[in-house]
Amino acid sequence: MPPDASDSTIAQLALLARRVEREHKARLAAEVLAEQGLRELYQAQQELRLLVSIADTANHASSITETLRFAVTSICNHTGWEVGHVYLNHQLPAPSPLRSARIWNDNLAPAFAELRDFIEQRRLVANDGWPGRVLAARQPLWIRDLAAERDADCWELRAAGQLRATFAFPVIIGEEVVALLEFSCTRVQDEDASLLSLLSKVGVQLGRAVERKISQDKLLYDATHDALTGLPNRQHFRQLLTQALLQAQQRNTQCAVLFIDLDHFKLVNDSMGHHAGDQLIIHVAQRVRSTLQRLEPIRHPDQYAQTLCGGAVVARLGGDEFTVLLENVTTESVPLQAAEQILELLKQPFLINGQEVYSGASIGIALSAPGYYSGDEILRDADLAMYQAKSRGKSRGKVFDRGMRDQAAKRLTIESDLRRALPRQEFLLNYQPIVALDNGEIIGFEALIRWRRAGVIVPPADFIPIADELGLIIPIGHWVLEEACRTLRDWQQHFPRQQPLTISVNVSPRQFRQPNFVSQVRQALHNAGIEPGALTLEITESATMGNPERAIATLLQLRDLGVKLSIDDFGTGYSSLSYLHRFPLHALKIDRSFIARIDGSFQSFQVVHSIMSLANNLGIAVVAEGIETIEQVGHLRALLCQFGQGYHFSRPLPQADVLQLLTRPVLCLTR
Amino acid sequence: MMGIVFNLLEAAVCRTYGEARWYQLLDKAGLDGAYTSIGNYPDAEAFRIVGVAAEVLQLPPGEVLRWFGRESMGMVAERYSLFFTDHSSVRTFLPTINRVHNDEVRKLYPGALLPQFSFEDAPADTLRMVYHSSRSLCDLAQGFIEGTALVFKEQITVEHPYCKLRGDHQCRFDIRFRELMPANSPLVQD
Repeated sequence: MPPDASDSTIAQLALLARRVEREHKARLAAEVLAEQGLRELYQAQQELRLLVSIADTANHASSITETLRFAVTSICNHTGWEVGHVYLNHQLPAPSPLRSARIWNDNLAPAFAELRDFIEQRRLVANDGWPGRVLAARQPLWIRDLAAERDADCWELRAAGQLRATFAFPVIIGEEVVALLEFSCTRVQDEDASLLSLLSKVGVQLGRAVERKISQDKLLYDATHDALTGLPNRQHFRQLLTQALLQAQQRNTQCAVLFIDLDHFKLVNDSMGHHAGDQLIIHVAQRVRSTLQRLEPIRHPDQYAQTLCGGAVVARLGGDEFTVLLENVTTESVPLQAAEQILELLKQPFLINGQEVYSGASIGIALSAPGYYSGDEILRDADLAMYQAKSRGKSRGKVFDRGMRDQAAKRLTIESDLRRALPRQEFLLNYQPIVALDNGEIIGFEALIRWRRAGVIVPPADFIPIADELGLIIPIGHWVLEEACRTLRDWQQHFPRQQPLTISVNVSPRQFRQPNFVSQVRQALHNAGIEPGALTLEITESATMGNPERAIATLLQLRDLGVKLSIDDFGTGYSSLSYLHRFPLHALKIDRSFIARIDGSFQSFQVVHSIMSLANNLGIAVVAEGIETIEQVGHLRALLCQFGQGYHFSRPLPQADVLQLLTRPVLCLTR
Repeated sequence: MMGIVFNLLEAAVCRTYGEARWYQLLDKAGLDGAYTSIGNYPDAEAFRIVGVAAEVLQLPPGEVLRWFGRESMGMVAERYSLFFTDHSSVRTFLPTINRVHNDEVRKLYPGALLPQFSFEDAPADTLRMVYHSSRSLCDLAQGFIEGTALVFKEQITVEHPYCKLRGDHQCRFDIRFRELMPANSPLVQD
């Protein structure tokens, strides 16, 4: 420093020196802060990366275990800990104890094998060891040194595997721990609060992933299963069938489809209500399942174990239709035997709403064979076979054969023609006289429908059941009623009598059960302008089945209207004698089968005799149907049967011929 | 306390009283004064410097704080002009302070203890602002408000009718606005 340097210069230099020193210190402090900031940033980025990668995997993984496996590996990589393991509820979404998911990140194996075996056998419950404590508290837990923990979970084993610090955290959905992830390392390590906080977030992410997977599975399950029975639905069954067909072709084996249709489901549903119908469906599903459980078990790759019945799959296609898929079928007898067992079990009564209900079923069977290219084809053929079984008298099984396809095609044509028959005015009525057996006088006629299809007359037996199935019976029945009443009016005008001519009209069960049936009858009488007493409605016993009280109410209304009522085909149906006296009947019509045998069969004679006594006691008239011989007339007259009809008197006649007949309305009763 | 506050205090003292006076204050307070703007330092160090300054200047500590606030706001506006450019008045600027604290200050000082302000209904020419802080540095806040008026060349009066330090339930400022100062008017100095 020069000798003339002033004090102020010295002071300034001192200040500068101090500033340099102070700024140097400040810079060092700033660098420390910056480094710390960078480290924290890096750590935050790593944590974020871990969270994002787990969330990302959870979004794209095909299974929960895939997500958990990724999470365990990622956390081990992030923390540098050697061992990671997962406990999982394997019964999701149902609650169940956690068990090892056998998902490991194990960098110590095989030194660790003994502990690993122990853990894999374990069923984790609350407070059982330290993972059990995590389960109970639903909170993450950190143990800095297992060796120092008295109640640490199997610490001897862990110590033998040299594991010291450990932590675990739960994966929670709602209130329930659905998985638990545990990690261990060979160092003693103090609790890291920020790591535990991060892992709690991972736990939340995993919880959401599991929850999402459960929802997806449920959606998939709901979309592929019938809600009422829990059985696979049509769509799912078709998939399984396609798969089974493919396997059968590859392995050169066969599979079979049983198509089951209940015989009286509609009756139960209509008469007892939909709830009862649902109950019946549930019972049927249980019975079919239980039958198949007794069959030889065959492994099946379907993921939904509950739909399997010892290797057979039962499905509900909808309504009262069920299907069974049998795989590895060696002979036709296997599905036949299964069908027989199912039929037998379904024949037994079901207890619905405290009432015994009989259903029965018809089963069609189709076996895979060369030439089948899709499951739908087998299903269609099984359906055809079922239809055949049903048309041959129900409660039976039928194996598909190729002839059925032609019949089905024929039926399809009939169906489509039948739908057009009414608007095309292809129906016509024939009339068969009903004769008083004491004097041979024609007292009236039974109207009988015919279908003129492409110029050929089709008998009722060939189209009425189909019309019934298609629901066409209602408009057809309505037409018959109107037409018969109109015709009767014409005859009454042309042939006035003291006791006016009557007309009998057959009413189908479905028609009878319409809520507005009585008003339809009233309208028909009004339209034709005939007296109600001139109309007799013939109903079968089956029309009154199911809900007799409702049937009685309808019958009473009809009686009050003035219409006469008779029971058709008496003796062939259920002959519900208990109700007979409650029905306001005017007549019973004895079925032709008894009349045909009245000559030769003492039994038939006795049946007719009994019916006559019954009717007499109840004050009901009797009409004998199907009288073909003079001898039959004699027997019936001897039994004091009042009325009769049949070829002996006249076949059913077109309207024009009736006019001719009515010019001489007394028929010959003796030789 | 954020390092930037110490830096601003140092700058205000050096500008007004010279660098030597700052070292005098540090020495008297027994501090080395190596403060970096991104650091966080004990509140007690700031209070010690203010206490020593009050002694040296023979002013109440509150007055020193108010002076510091008023004096330093111009430097703040220079250094962080971004937060000022959208405003031309204390009236619009002050209500944005909470957001600036939450959005910007916390980026650099994640753990900082920052005051919050709330605003209450007041007559048209008045902005009523309530100061919330466990530190009760309301005099510094008042100085900052007055300093902001200097930045915007506004003439305001700041009343402090309620003060927790005086035993009131809140610290409230009523800021009244008068006509604009002429553009070339010198800044008010203490």
